[in-house]
Amino acid sequence: MLTIEEISKSYRRQKILHDINFSVKEGEILGLLGPNGAGKTSLMRIINQIIDQDRGHILFKGKVMRSADLAEIGYLPEERGLYKTMSVHRQLLYLARLRGMSKKDAKQQINFWLEKFSIEDWGKKRIEELSKGMAQKIQFIATVLHDPSLLILDEPFSGFDPVNIELIRDEIKRFKKEGRTILISTHNMNSVEAICDRAVLINQGEMLLEGSITNLRDQHKEGLYEICFEGNMISFANALWVGYEIIEKIDKGENQFCVRLKMRKENSINDLLNAVMGQVKILSVHEVLPGMDEVFVQQVQPKKEVEDE
Amino acid sequence: MNKILLIAKREIWERLTTRSYISLMIIGPLVVLGLLYIFLSSTGAKKQSWEVLIMDETELFENKLNPKKDPLFSIDFINAYIDYDEFANDKKFQKYDLAVWVNERVLKNKNVIISYRSKPSELVQRRLAHHVERRLEEILVKEFSSMSLKEFRAIKQPLQFSLKDTYDPRDKRSETSGWVGFVFGSIIIFFILSFGMTMLRGVAKEKSNRIVEVLLSSVSPSQLLSGKILGIGFAAFIQFVVWGVLISLGLWILRIVFFPDLLDPAMVANQLGEQANEVNSFAQQSPFVELIYKQIQYSNMLVFFSLFFIAGYLFYSAFFAMIGSSVGSESDGQQFVIPIVMILLLAIVAGYYEIYYPDSLLSEWLGYIPFTAPTVMMVELSYGFSNGGAWKLYLSLFILMISAIVFLILASRIYRNGILQFGHRLKLPLLLRWIKK
Repeated sequence: MLTIEEISKSYRRQKILHDINFSVKEGEILGLLGPNGAGKTSLMRIINQIIDQDRGHILFKGKVMRSADLAEIGYLPEERGLYKTMSVHRQLLYLARLRGMSKKDAKQQINFWLEKFSIEDWGKKRIEELSKGMAQKIQFIATVLHDPSLLILDEPFSGFDPVNIELIRDEIKRFKKEGRTILISTHNMNSVEAICDRAVLINQGEMLLEGSITNLRDQHKEGLYEICFEGNMISFANALWVGYEIIEKIDKGENQFCVRLKMRKENSINDLLNAVMGQVKILSVHEVLPGMDEVFVQQVQPKKEVEDE
Repeated sequence: MNKILLIAKREIWERLTTRSYISLMIIGPLVVLGLLYIFLSSTGAKKQSWEVLIMDETELFENKLNPKKDPLFSIDFINAYIDYDEFANDKKFQKYDLAVWVNERVLKNKNVIISYRSKPSELVQRRLAHHVERRLEEILVKEFSSMSLKEFRAIKQPLQFSLKDTYDPRDKRSETSGWVGFVFGSIIIFFILSFGMTMLRGVAKEKSNRIVEVLLSSVSPSQLLSGKILGIGFAAFIQFVVWGVLISLGLWILRIVFFPDLLDPAMVANQLGEQANEVNSFAQQSPFVELIYKQIQYSNMLVFFSLFFIAGYLFYSAFFAMIGSSVGSESDGQQFVIPIVMILLLAIVAGYYEIYYPDSLLSEWLGYIPFTAPTVMMVELSYGFSNGGAWKLYLSLFILMISAIVFLILASRIYRNGILQFGHRLKLPLLLRWIKK
């Protein structure tokens, strides 16, 4: 659907993006991750042709992207706003017309979305009369009003209240179900794990990682397991002997414990179970995969440390 | 183009629904009419009775002017031609405030010279001119035509009256016409300032409320800027047209309500029976309309007013857009507006200078400098160009238009680079860097 090919951009002799390459497949949700100043917003602006890249291409549906393709994209920028003195209806109509919709279609879509969010009465209200949360809903409607096949959302959850975050999350999932493609940049790692199929991590303009969420977490696992049991903690620890390293133990009360541990040498999960099975009653056991926030920190941190030195 | 029109339409809509725009639409013409009323009722020396000497060497007027005596004038005739110096300095003529020179060629060239010691008001000028014109009509009909006076009035050409200072008769230019040009030029500057500030605030507001990035994902920066300039310019034009209509209407009402004595009593008497003709006479008799239609080349004035208005607006709006798009914060913009406002004030001063020193080298240069050209050239145009001198007007307009195009290109570069920059301090090197990119 969207291919980023060797995109580079500098500003005041400082590299903002360097040789970025990745694709967003049709119907998937791709998370664009990175710390502040990594270049995510610049990349999104380049895709939306708001700023020009110094080098590289953007392909949309296999062809070099043209300005006419923007009509198929819905863009929610991180820095967003609306005309405060314009009415909701007029504002949405104006933005939809700028996206190339006919007046008739735009009006139909506006009614559809206002009804969908149960805010039909707001049509004549000016934006300055709405609460922040209400204005956020209008902002989101403005992004999706023209029925785009590709949604580009820059920090869609920042600045939105929890109710609207949930609403946007649901809408994103629904868009995915309808087969649309979504590119999200966010700091909210819970959301990444919850809704993204794949992620790309960039830092200081360089691309560090690309892959499915499961693979990325799997690649960064550290052999950590969590076992929950009922019984005596000392008997459990004695049974482990030297083949395992206890990282953390949590007393759940009523003689129940959860322990996080790492295997030593060639030990496997089966060896662990064999060792403790006679000593305690096992309630659950699973491998602990790192969260995306840990993957994120792991990738970004070493570079920072090297720089600090 | 479609998107530019959409943006322009939104800008027009926003202006038309703004209270300040509507207020200006009504208050502006009222202020102008008020000033005009003061001008019309107070300009010139005030006298109860004016001593007039009519110099009629060939006794064309047969020592009479109007069958009804006008209390405003005390008229004497002299059957000799007296030159300006003699009239100005000879003791026996000192009692006369005004002199009317009627030479033997008046029936052909339609030129009558009125000279004054202290400048009479528009009202006095028009009344005296009216008496002279009516008398000449009678003579012309009697001598050369079998038509009735009424028929003749319908087809006759108007007389050309030249008003001269008795002590400075060679000053052929009428300052009054220069002031008309100055008013036109000042209106241009006023509209540029008013709508230029609207442009600046509009751009800065879109930037500060962050809608600009939403817009830029649908349109290019140059489309957005073009739409804004077009829309705000058109809103300014609508405002101007409404001003024009309201001022014309106001003048007509002023004339009827406040200056009925501008009408000749005979004309008033005839008015009921001669509606159609008298409507024309009515218009011709209005001081303001007379001023423009007879002393100024009105058609030229209007055409060039529009052209200088458009070019001047485009030229200055480029600067306002540059500032609006490049400021890091709203307070930052204020300090950059001051120099532009100073330049606009300078343009008004330049127009004022042009009235009094139209032939100076500085005036000539000010006419070509795009910043001051709109006012200076309006004054120059109202004075009229000597034969073959019109190229100056075209050159000035050409320079202004080229400058407008160049600065709009520079403005669009700054706009493109500056519109998404926030929180910086605006400095000249930064603007230059954005221009180069």
